[in-house]
Amino acid sequence: MSVPHPADDERPFEELQRELEEIVTRLERGDVPVDEAIALWQRGEALYSLCADRLDAAELRIEELAADDNRTPER
Amino acid sequence: MRDEPLRDGERKVYSVAEFNSRLASYLRRVRDVWVAGEISELRRNDAWKTVFITLKDRETGHCLSAQMTRARYDALAFAPEEGEVVHLQGRLDLWEARGELMFRATAIERLGAGDRLVALEGLKRALAAEGLFAEHRKRALPRFPRAVGLLTGADAAARGDVVAAIRSRYPSARLVIAETRVQGPGAPAAIVRTLAALCVHARVDVVIVARGGGSVEDLLPFSDERVVRAIATAPVPVVSAVGHEQDVPLCDLAADVRAATPTAAARLVVPSAAELSGGLVVARGRMATAVRRRLEHDRKLLGTRRGRLRAGVRRTLDHDRERLERVSQRLASAPPALLERRRVAIDHAGARLHALSPRRTLQRGYAIVRSDGAPLRVASATAPGALLEIELAAGSLIGNVVEVLP
Repeated sequence: MSVPHPADDERPFEELQRELEEIVTRLERGDVPVDEAIALWQRGEALYSLCADRLDAAELRIEELAADDNRTPER
Repeated sequence: MRDEPLRDGERKVYSVAEFNSRLASYLRRVRDVWVAGEISELRRNDAWKTVFITLKDRETGHCLSAQMTRARYDALAFAPEEGEVVHLQGRLDLWEARGELMFRATAIERLGAGDRLVALEGLKRALAAEGLFAEHRKRALPRFPRAVGLLTGADAAARGDVVAAIRSRYPSARLVIAETRVQGPGAPAAIVRTLAALCVHARVDVVIVARGGGSVEDLLPFSDERVVRAIATAPVPVVSAVGHEQDVPLCDLAADVRAATPTAAARLVVPSAAELSGGLVVARGRMATAVRRRLEHDRKLLGTRRGRLRAGVRRTLDHDRERLERVSQRLASAPPALLERRRVAIDHAGARLHALSPRRTLQRGYAIVRSDGAPLRVASATAPGALLEIELAAGSLIGNVVEVLP
């Protein structure tokens, strides 16, 4: 069922989700020829899995910025 | 040292030294005067004996140059900061050699709570008039920040609340935390620098400024003009979560969004993974429904077309059948006429046949001679003595051959 897109892993979640939303909208318009509709559906399923995996697999990453030295520079 | 002024007719004339000296002693009578203003400039150097202070009137921008001995300045109970509004106590003096007025500060005091509130109100009005808090300046928060910046004190509660809320709501987030001093002198400048450092971080798309509850005094740095301006002009949207719900430090007004608590701020800056997940499932369902509907539609269309095709064929067949029937009806009605025509033809043929009948020839006097039942055409086919049958128009004769003539 998966239709891989070469750069999918590099793309932000937001973009994948937007593409999925566009596919849903196009399919719901109902004016896509059947062959294309099925290809779109397969692509949509692939995007769904990618997005769902990302939401499931992610773990909060925390980075500490170097502490401010609290000193006003000399004038 | 004091000379009497010279008299020049009616005019009393002083030398410069005499004038300055008299002026100085006049000014020195002004003692223990208090002046309130913002420290707009502060110059202190370990190598200098004097600290130079410029006090500015916030309303009008008028300035007063003051100075204080470094020993006295260093003995103050707090470290004054530029931008801070203070009461300056001092006396007037004149630098006689140059005739310049001096304000010799003897004490610096921070404003009392009442005065601070008044000063804060003034600042608030001024910044509001400038449009710094205007609604149109507020930016929308990004829906999917690449990273969330968190500016906080070494304040475990606020920090922990933000981390916990983000972790539970959107675990795939990235958080960049910058701790800084958030109270006391030096805090405003530290906050401004830390905010700038967070904003230039490559991935930070939104910053939370979080500070747990505290006294009005504790929260003052977040109403400092420098901090307020830095937040209003930050390159990325800022969510302010400072103090308790009822506290409204000026940074709350300048921020793009004000959150009641650090947890609320965290919930504002990241989407909910659970909601996203639900949205994905819904999108998937809509997609499947749309495809199914598409297929059903095509199937129905196909059915309709097949029906039309069949109807078309049936119509063609019906048409052909009708034509066939018409032909066969015409065929059925054809025989009587045909027979009539045939009968006439047969009669005609019969008449012609009749005309050709040998009987008619016999009646004209001819006879048919047969030998052994077969018609005899040449004389040599028989011999004398043979029996011959001679048929006439009426009756027959039987006779013998007497002689054969070639």
